[in-house]
Amino acid sequence: MPERRCAVTRAEDRTVRIAGPSAGPPFTLAVLDVAGAVLTWPVLGPTGLPAAEIHDVGQAQQWLWAVYGERAAAAVDAVASGGPAAELTLPEQPTALAEAAARLALGHWAARWWPTSYLDGIPALEPDLLGLELAALIHECQQLLDESGELEGADLLEEHLAALDPLIRWRQSAAPPRQLDRVLRLIDEAADNAGLDGEALRRLRSALEQDHRPTATPLDLAELCVWQQEFALAAGSLRTATDRVIARGSGTNDWCRYPPGFVDAAEDAVSWTAYALGAGRRIEVEVVADVAAPATGVRLAAEVHVDGGPPNRVPLARRDDVWTGLADLDIPASTTPGIEVGILLPGFDPGPGDADDRAAREAVRALARHRLGVAAAPHDGEAAHPEPFLAEVVAAAAVEEDF
Amino acid sequence: MPIPSRPSTGERRPRAMVIDTAWRGLGPGPQALSGPGGAPLTRTVKLIVLPLIVRPALRPELAADFLDAREAERLEALIRESGAVLEATARWFTLLKKTRRALGIVAGNPQDLYFQRCFELATEHGAPGPGAGAVARVVLEDVVDASGGRTVEALREHLADAARRARLDAELAAAWDGREAVPGSADTGLAAEVLETCGAAGADSPAFAAMVRAGHGGLLGRALWAAHPADVWDRADVPPHLGLTAHRVPPRPEVGRSASTATLPAPFDRTLFERLFTVLQVSTHREQLPTVPELVRREVARSCAPLGLYDESLRVTVVLGGRLAVGLDPLGAGTSVAGSTAAHRIVNSRWQREASVLRARRMTVSPTADPDGGVLNALAQDLRTPWAAYMRRLWVRLHGRDVRDAALPDAASAWGVLDGVARSVMMDHRARVRTALRTLSVAAEPTAEPRSA
Repeated sequence: MPERRCAVTRAEDRTVRIAGPSAGPPFTLAVLDVAGAVLTWPVLGPTGLPAAEIHDVGQAQQWLWAVYGERAAAAVDAVASGGPAAELTLPEQPTALAEAAARLALGHWAARWWPTSYLDGIPALEPDLLGLELAALIHECQQLLDESGELEGADLLEEHLAALDPLIRWRQSAAPPRQLDRVLRLIDEAADNAGLDGEALRRLRSALEQDHRPTATPLDLAELCVWQQEFALAAGSLRTATDRVIARGSGTNDWCRYPPGFVDAAEDAVSWTAYALGAGRRIEVEVVADVAAPATGVRLAAEVHVDGGPPNRVPLARRDDVWTGLADLDIPASTTPGIEVGILLPGFDPGPGDADDRAAREAVRALARHRLGVAAAPHDGEAAHPEPFLAEVVAAAAVEEDF
Repeated sequence: MPIPSRPSTGERRPRAMVIDTAWRGLGPGPQALSGPGGAPLTRTVKLIVLPLIVRPALRPELAADFLDAREAERLEALIRESGAVLEATARWFTLLKKTRRALGIVAGNPQDLYFQRCFELATEHGAPGPGAGAVARVVLEDVVDASGGRTVEALREHLADAARRARLDAELAAAWDGREAVPGSADTGLAAEVLETCGAAGADSPAFAAMVRAGHGGLLGRALWAAHPADVWDRADVPPHLGLTAHRVPPRPEVGRSASTATLPAPFDRTLFERLFTVLQVSTHREQLPTVPELVRREVARSCAPLGLYDESLRVTVVLGGRLAVGLDPLGAGTSVAGSTAAHRIVNSRWQREASVLRARRMTVSPTADPDGGVLNALAQDLRTPWAAYMRRLWVRLHGRDVRDAALPDAASAWGVLDGVARSVMMDHRARVRTALRTLSVAAEPTAEPRSA
């Protein structure tokens, strides 16, 4: 890795920064809350050392030297006590802790922004598998974290314990991935440290205590994977036969405006049709749902702008694997309207993003495809870089079977 | 607060790094106290290495974040010399964890509960030898019992007695009638001066001591009893009591017989039972509390004291907290800059950082009110009145200190509490958003096949 120079500065509120703030839409940033600071990596950029915003320099001194090196720790200390901004050269080779932290941040990112799409053929990452690997990584990064970070690890462990037995079987199968044994040992240690106990954790302990003798039986990875469900794209629309279509198009699928797991991440997942019904004008919005989207109880909404006017909100309900909704529009009958459609979850929506986000979304899909490609390659050869998450290995196997 | 290191950092090394190197030099002996990469666990440093081996109180030169060569050598030697006792500590810790599992104990973090005990056992007995199993059991039972009967259950029993409740009720009535309500506007003017000095290393504010001497906290409490004073916080949209009561004027506390975390009323509206319930729920160091009858006896008078607190430094911290709380701006609207101090800038920039973390974690709430927003809209609403959650949290923390006679001696220690509460309020918000989003997507999974065969 080329050496990197970066600035250490102090803001008016006494926050100390290492390197500038990372730019880009939120779904391109991997962030990690650590003791006294927030670390940020660009997901699409080269991997390496993160940018840091340090709000508690005293706390951060527990790990600064181990991530950025001794000189950086001293520079932060000097800048925090009122010294001038400093420039420093970061170490060429990231430390083991820095690498583990980058991987943990990327895992958190994947849990929230992985562009799962039926339309694009990008399979979901099984949440329990990813959750357990994150719990393991949190333990690996314990030097960096404060108590709340550590509690998050224990919570993840308890929440995703369902994946533990399949992982134990995977470890005993003919060809477990390289990192699986380490992940399981970290989980065992993390549980032991946090004082967690239970049936599955006891089975893990006794499996780890036994000699590691792989059986000849290959494991059907589909067992580890619950996402493969029948997908039924609804046929036919809500319209009646007497309508006359006057315009149709696709809307904007802005990932920031709804939580993960609600909408297929494809660019063309949002479509609309405007039609005439007598003298009236109506719009129908159709949005391809994520395979795991809630079936009941939650309503997404479409936001329809006609000719740049104020937003009309159209509530969307689930019908098979599509969210759909209809609304009357106030359009002069004679014109062909300019219609823009976005989708959002009311109460969650932080507001529309940038028009450039489209290119960033495409780059994230490319990243996901690349990572799945790496994950599909046989894992017993050279050390794969980047080493895939276990959930990616399983998802990649599912792609090979299904697509 | 760490002592600021001297400017010549050329020869000075981070103390954490010195500890790490010395620790690794001990070899595999104390492995049970190490993390996955061989570094000491953060709690090993916090609970064993620093307080029991380095002991910066005795060696102030080792209290700094950076050490010169001689100091580093001294610290390394201290750890090296403790190699045998650390190895024994690790073995006691392993034994205690094993025994704990065998006994089916799951409550509490084993490191928090046993690290210090293990070090004591190692110092006294060396490594666990024959009969260590019995010693381990005794220690575990001892730790479980450390609350010395200071439990919610004991409180419930104590207050189950009808005659006792009647007596307490009469005492409350007398104490409440004996209050001295002083109408008139409370003076919160010096608060901004104190808040302006907050966060700077080593800075202190004589204004804090002046406020304590002048009894500004007690004045605020008495003013709140007397009426609904206007203009306390210079904001027309904020009630003078900042949501510490749901009433115009705080009502007389009742005795109470039960409590539940989910339905606790505003602090001034809580019963004696509810006030002590929150104290007894905190699991750490309950052995340092007064006994339950004594807790109850003191709470009668405390609940009828201004702001529900005895200690004036804690009451003044309520005034500081109020001044800080009315300038909180979690949504980054930039509207409440009036009276903004250094403390406001620190806390509000932390809120902004939190907001960007939440955006990157896809855990947002709409900044503007959305009638279709359901539970998420309710969370966003709380962000528009952040002073309520802030004051509730702050009061509970100050009350906990009051019960333990832990006054706040200066502005720096008050700022430690104020800042910590700000962080807790943020973490509460994050946890509530997480729960709300999880609930929204749980409806999602009934179609999923069973996870494991």
